[in-house]
Amino acid sequence: MADASGANEATAKMDYFFIIDFVQSLVDGLLFGTTYALIGIGFTLIFGVMRKLNLAYGAAALAGTYIGLAAFLAFDAPPPVVFLASALGSGLIGLVVYYCCFRFTPTSYPMASLLASVGMLLFIDEVVIHLSHGMPFPYPSVFSDATLELGDIWIRGDLLFVFGMCVVAMAVLFWLLYRTPLGLATRAVSQQPRAAQLCGIDSTRVNALTFVIAGILGGVAGAMTAAAVGVLSPIIAMGLTVKGLIVVVIGGLGSIPGAIIGGLLVGAAENVFLLLRGVTERDIYVMLLLFLFLTLRPGGLFGSTAGRD
Amino acid sequence: MDFYFGLLQIFGVHTLLGLSAYVVLLTGQVSMAQAGFYAIGAYAAGACTAMFGMHILPAVLIAGLLTAVVACVVGFPALRVKGLMLVVATLAFGEMVRLFFFNLTWQVERGGEMVGPNGAEGFRSIRYFPENGWEIWQVTGFIWIIVAVIMVALWWVDRTRAGAVLRAVGHDETAAQSIGLNLTAVKVGAMTAGGFIAGIGGGIYAHTVTHIEHGVFGVLLATFAIAYPILGGLGSIFGTLIAVLFIQGFLIEGLRFMGDWRSLLFGALIVLAMNLRPTGLLGEHAPRLSQLFGRKTNDHDKSLELKEAE
Repeated sequence: MADASGANEATAKMDYFFIIDFVQSLVDGLLFGTTYALIGIGFTLIFGVMRKLNLAYGAAALAGTYIGLAAFLAFDAPPPVVFLASALGSGLIGLVVYYCCFRFTPTSYPMASLLASVGMLLFIDEVVIHLSHGMPFPYPSVFSDATLELGDIWIRGDLLFVFGMCVVAMAVLFWLLYRTPLGLATRAVSQQPRAAQLCGIDSTRVNALTFVIAGILGGVAGAMTAAAVGVLSPIIAMGLTVKGLIVVVIGGLGSIPGAIIGGLLVGAAENVFLLLRGVTERDIYVMLLLFLFLTLRPGGLFGSTAGRD
Repeated sequence: MDFYFGLLQIFGVHTLLGLSAYVVLLTGQVSMAQAGFYAIGAYAAGACTAMFGMHILPAVLIAGLLTAVVACVVGFPALRVKGLMLVVATLAFGEMVRLFFFNLTWQVERGGEMVGPNGAEGFRSIRYFPENGWEIWQVTGFIWIIVAVIMVALWWVDRTRAGAVLRAVGHDETAAQSIGLNLTAVKVGAMTAGGFIAGIGGGIYAHTVTHIEHGVFGVLLATFAIAYPILGGLGSIFGTLIAVLFIQGFLIEGLRFMGDWRSLLFGALIVLAMNLRPTGLLGEHAPRLSQLFGRKTNDHDKSLELKEAE
């Protein structure tokens, strides 16, 4: 009898630890998921104004992050400057991508710009690998020693910072979109490009600026990913691209709140499956989640079913 | 000499990969799942010969059929969505297949050693050709006979009603639907045919390299698959062939002397090509686009085609 109760106690303890682990990875995932949300928003913004898919987006975000890293290595810049350089660099590369892949390709033939952005993806990836020799570099982080303890749940300070930065970026974006003339123009173009042009909005300028804004968001996401991991390597570009696209589909194309919820969902699901099934199988389940959404809610969480695409 | 035969083999399997994407692209769908289908074909054909001792021809055929079934099953949910959603769905499917093979360990004992897929290590010793004493020129001939058969079949299909149906759906879905075409059937059919071709291509690929691993079948291969037909132009299957020769022959092998810079140039050239000729090298002989570019472009296409053929 004593043995049995001992075993029971052991399983109870196991269960307790399991729940703690579970909640822990859920929290970490939600915090980290904000970076996916940012990438998702970037894809959604670009799709909103141009109805085009920019596959070079993740690579541009990565390249921007490397610009920040270069500032860190060359001038020993403090982390805030590094993060700022990452964001601005990525915005600049976003503009280059727009002019190379989207400005001069015909709008009636979407495959041209799609393939051009694939070419850009390969190009940016290669430039980054060429310049960094494919080696992973340490990336500065802040508050990495601090932890916030809530009972048995520990919240990593750097993840909390990542979360905070991403929320700030989103808040700035909302202010930009809903409180400034530029935001009004952007929303007008994404609702009806021709009507917007008739109202005197220069849609080329709006498109270019949208690429810059999306690039900056991508740069923030890239910098925050690198800061959370602590290491920057070219591999994260593909992860950012694929996860960002999944976020967009789950959240609903063209919906910014959808991208935010989708990002948190993907981040949380990823970490929970990491705990349950290990690192090699993690992404399979995230993809299955995507297929579940595609079959049950093809329009995504917030997408309108009567969308144009 | 062996080097050139090897190169011809690469051209052959990549042509199959490109053609598999070409069929799907004709219906206006961008599928990033072709690398996944290619992987399924490669592992299936490898398993048939290396693990169960089959002949190469039925093995490749089984690989093609199995992949076609998978493509058909995937096609139904995936083709409910279109445009960007389809790109993402197929991209996710391709990655899922890759991760599946990354985790797959299934080995049987044959001739005193264990053969079969072994997780991250991949599937080693698919040695059907060397074991049965095939010369390299025989292997190359075998590959190109299959490529030729498939190309002739596709060329013929393109000239029948089926080809017209595929293009009709690709150009204007609403118009195609209004003349009574079943969109889902056409798209899933194209996906299945694409899966069959990709499966055969993958099956052959596995035997030419003898060792396959999950990393090969990533997003990069999927982008190559759609890059060939788009770069070559959707007007005819020869566009895909020319694009394969251009990318694999010129950009990858021909520029080898440039060392590291080659891969830099590669992406830049694709960007440039798409800006200069958005509809691909051979262009698309669609009524809509010929209106856009006028008659001159078509003549230009022909001269270009001749030049490439020389």
